[in-house]
Amino acid sequence: MSSLRILLFGGLTSYRALFRWMSPWIAIPVFIVQPLFQIMLFVYVGRTAGVGDDRFFLIGNAILNAAIPCLFAMGNTIDGERYQGTLPLLLASPARRIPLFFGRALPVILNGFAVTIICLCVGAAMLDVSLPAETWGPLALAVAVSSFSCTGLGLLMAAVALRVRDVAVLANVVFGLLMIFAGVNVPLVSLPGWVAATAQWLPLTHGIAAARELAMGAGVAGVGAQLGVEAGLGLLYCVLGLGTLFWLEFDSRRKSTLEIS
Amino acid sequence: MAERVIEVSELTRTYRTGGLFARSRKEVQAVRGISFAVQRGELFGLLGPNGAGKTTTIKMLMTLLLPTSGSARVLGLDVVKDAQQVRRKVGYVFGGDRGLYERLSGLDNLRYFAELYGVPPKQQKTRIAELLEMVGLKGREKERVEGYSRGMRQRLHIARGLLHRPEVLFLDEPSIGIDPVGARELRVTVRNLVEQGTTVLLTTHYMFEADELCGRIAVIAGGRIVASGTPAELKSNVSTGSIIEVDVFGLPPGVESQIRGMPGVRTVVVDEREQAQVLTVHTEPGTEMAPAVLSRLEGSRIGKLITREPTLEDAYVELVAAA
Amino acid sequence: MKILRLLGISWWLQLKMRSRSAFDGLLSILWPLFFATSVFLMFRQGAASGPALLSAAVGASVMGIWSAVSTTASAVLQMERRLGTLELLVAAPRPFALLLVPVTLSMATIGAYSMIVTLLWGRFVFGIELSVASPALFVLSTLVTVVAVAIFGFLLAVASVRYRVAWALGSTLEIPVWLICGFVVAVGDLPAWVQPVSWLLAPTWGMAAIHASAQGRNPWGDIAMCLGLAAVYAGVGTVLSHVMINSARAHASLALT
Repeated sequence: MSSLRILLFGGLTSYRALFRWMSPWIAIPVFIVQPLFQIMLFVYVGRTAGVGDDRFFLIGNAILNAAIPCLFAMGNTIDGERYQGTLPLLLASPARRIPLFFGRALPVILNGFAVTIICLCVGAAMLDVSLPAETWGPLALAVAVSSFSCTGLGLLMAAVALRVRDVAVLANVVFGLLMIFAGVNVPLVSLPGWVAATAQWLPLTHGIAAARELAMGAGVAGVGAQLGVEAGLGLLYCVLGLGTLFWLEFDSRRKSTLEIS
Repeated sequence: MAERVIEVSELTRTYRTGGLFARSRKEVQAVRGISFAVQRGELFGLLGPNGAGKTTTIKMLMTLLLPTSGSARVLGLDVVKDAQQVRRKVGYVFGGDRGLYERLSGLDNLRYFAELYGVPPKQQKTRIAELLEMVGLKGREKERVEGYSRGMRQRLHIARGLLHRPEVLFLDEPSIGIDPVGARELRVTVRNLVEQGTTVLLTTHYMFEADELCGRIAVIAGGRIVASGTPAELKSNVSTGSIIEVDVFGLPPGVESQIRGMPGVRTVVVDEREQAQVLTVHTEPGTEMAPAVLSRLEGSRIGKLITREPTLEDAYVELVAAA
Repeated sequence: MKILRLLGISWWLQLKMRSRSAFDGLLSILWPLFFATSVFLMFRQGAASGPALLSAAVGASVMGIWSAVSTTASAVLQMERRLGTLELLVAAPRPFALLLVPVTLSMATIGAYSMIVTLLWGRFVFGIELSVASPALFVLSTLVTVVAVAIFGFLLAVASVRYRVAWALGSTLEIPVWLICGFVVAVGDLPAWVQPVSWLLAPTWGMAAIHASAQGRNPWGDIAMCLGLAAVYAGVGTVLSHVMINSARAHASLALT
């Protein structure tokens, strides 16, 4: 089995298998309606508090919501495999592990990407925020990079999930922390120093900042450095995640704790 | 003439599978027009294999399911029209792990259900203590149910079902997954209840349990009642009569076919064992063939001879197979 | 009297159950706290002070009451089904509505804990002065809001008894209610076509009563509206629960299998 096939099919099948309960009755409320309302909430709070403008909150919250599929899906995938008892099979499979994991990550990244783009389009229309046509390409790039880095964090979380029981709680907490730290609703300059410093190491911080600049007309060249950092962080988290996964698997084999239900 | 406490007439329940957008919808008839009656103070058994419709029937009598057609009355009250009144007087106990609040203690579970089922506040404390004593959970009631064993849960279930002193108790497969000792204690408890005047309807797929406990049994298979009566009556309906098993040391030639030819003998089977042959003779019902068989075996050395009556198991298997 | 006793004991035991899972409890307090913190940060960035800041703090803390109910109320019947206790509840000789209201009330009570935690967080981390003009009325308005939210949750729970994926719709309602009921954004600032919807939601009036008590204005009108609407919800919910349970009995959806 070539690595590319594993990449594609491994990803699609496990994602679908575990999201088989994902009917449109769940997907649309969770991935589209909820994020849109979150955008509206902060837009109106911003108006009441007299800070930011509609576009600021639109971009911040839209990209933040890419995190939902990214964090949950990766966590769910591993958790689900463990629940079904197929995790040992996955880790012992003869296929090279890395393409397998990236295969699982691909639909997740696409999901995150799609959620954000839809939120941006619909949100912009509802709020009458202008996003000129020439910004769409670069914005899409920023969104894609942000989705990727979030997925990396998701992978790290999924690795931790091998030992921890409740991935969903962890994902909710990470989502909340990102909402506060990554400059989603408050610009980094207005946050305490230590918060802003920590934010530099978190996904989404750079992606959101870049997307905001792009929406105001900056070219891709202007935000290249930020996008680069975002992508780099994503890679870092992937490496950390995979490393943790292998280490935990090795350790579990030693202690035979992989079957923890 | 004893009062009829449960009256079921042509009760039917059909399930339609598939939701609103399902590709295909099938109709499954779980219960197909059953009728029976239970008298006050009886221990009535509904015996049948899995999927026969026992649980569906009990749920209809418990007002948890609406019948598709037919009628049922409990204590003279219609289960559809007078549901609320029926609920006041009946108790429901089912086997398995579920049906309790895991995070609460046994005592809290009983307190909750006592309130729900209308046990007068002044009597709650004593009633709960009484029941805990009866089911043998005294001393463990403050522990959380999530730590209870299957047997303990089942006992708590029974205590719960009896809180409001129901006149009729429905027991749905109560001994599922319980060890033999626990099951035996359960049977003793049930028998005591009946002696004190509670009418009990028990469903089970354990033949010996129905045989041992029940005054009358209805055998249900494929949604229909295929036979009903006392255990003795059901046994006598079995078409095989007694079974004679003889150990013979050196069966002379020709004797086997002689015995086979005798009127009153159904089948003869000879098993070769190490030293002896075992002759198994199935006889026609109502005949006493042992002396005749023995006379044919005169001259041979005989070991033990057993005359076995057909068990309820034989009757049951025959009835279910015919359904 | 008997009804009050039933409601009281059910509420108490349900509360006991719900407060036993530390993990779930943590999340139900932490989740709205993240949003409240964002709101605090935004108002601080906008150099809000005094009454505006207090109003934001109070409104943000009430978000927790709704959070505790919205995400779990729509799933409560599915959970009872899984525990195997739904049938036992239906088989009880009581109107089902009386058994369900204490459940959502226990959730709203946990939401009240969340409110207190958020207020303390605002006080000690953000230095927001919690000087409430009429404390007694404030507490009363809060209790009224807790009851109103509980009954709203009861309506939600009943509406979702037949639908096994209703929890998704329930959790989607979390943020809309925060926004539409005027917790942190004045109803007057919302688009005109949304305002009638706000006025029909009981929590809107509860929140208005809380704001009024905090600022020293008269909350009684708001309290009356809130309780009135809650009574309507209770009536609708009771009728609906009767219909839904009968439907479940006809379609055999009380049990898992």
